[in-house]
Amino acid sequence: MKIESYAIARDYFGRSFEVEETVPDIASLRELLAIKNPAAASLLKNTRFAVNDEFIDDSFQLNPADHVSIIPPSSGG
Amino acid sequence: MSVSFPQAVADNFQYISESPIAPAAILQHAHHPAAGAIVLFSGETRNLSHGKEVDHLFYEAHPSMAAKMIGEILEQAKQKWELSIAIAQHRVGKVSVMECAVIVITASAHRSEAYAANRYIIDRIKHEAPIWKCEYFVDGTSEWGGNCNCSTITGDPNKHVYESLNQTSVG
Repeated sequence: MKIESYAIARDYFGRSFEVEETVPDIASLRELLAIKNPAAASLLKNTRFAVNDEFIDDSFQLNPADHVSIIPPSSGG
Repeated sequence: MSVSFPQAVADNFQYISESPIAPAAILQHAHHPAAGAIVLFSGETRNLSHGKEVDHLFYEAHPSMAAKMIGEILEQAKQKWELSIAIAQHRVGKVSVMECAVIVITASAHRSEAYAANRYIIDRIKHEAPIWKCEYFVDGTSEWGGNCNCSTITGDPNKHVYESLNQTSVG
């Protein structure tokens, strides 16, 4: 599954990477990413995820072909 | 903007700009025969933040999501306040002090609607659109901002302070 990260999340995970593990939903992905990078744990709690350009919640069922974006809290303006 | 761009690309250029925003030039597109009031907001890089001297800001966006969201916000504002014109554009990349990072222009029959709609649009863009700011300071340090910490108060990354203010305010 392809994951793309933005802004401060990029500092922890890089621009894009692949997750090989089987991840059933967003809640599991959140946990997996926190295990992969414990320093990002508190950021991940406040982070939203998008799949195929739509914001989705923690119960969203992931498909290996999904394109996931890590969306940290915004700060435009 | 070139007419040779497909519409989707043209829309991205409209809402998210990689090149400098010229507020006075965009204002030229905001005049309308039914509009007696035009409000222009330009969000610009200031020279001081967190007590430190700012060299420049760097903006990053999820371009397709941010463009779509700004388009939807403008459409909602146009309907809610019956605006003649609603324009918004946000920069990505390096924005120096005194340069425009985001512009919102609203035009309506009377000023009250133009002001209210403009405030609504900029608040929602700043809090909700997937656009991020990194502050680069003169001392060589840098920091990802920081404007929207609403979830520390509301307990929900999808709920913003101004929404609860709107709900409780009277009149």
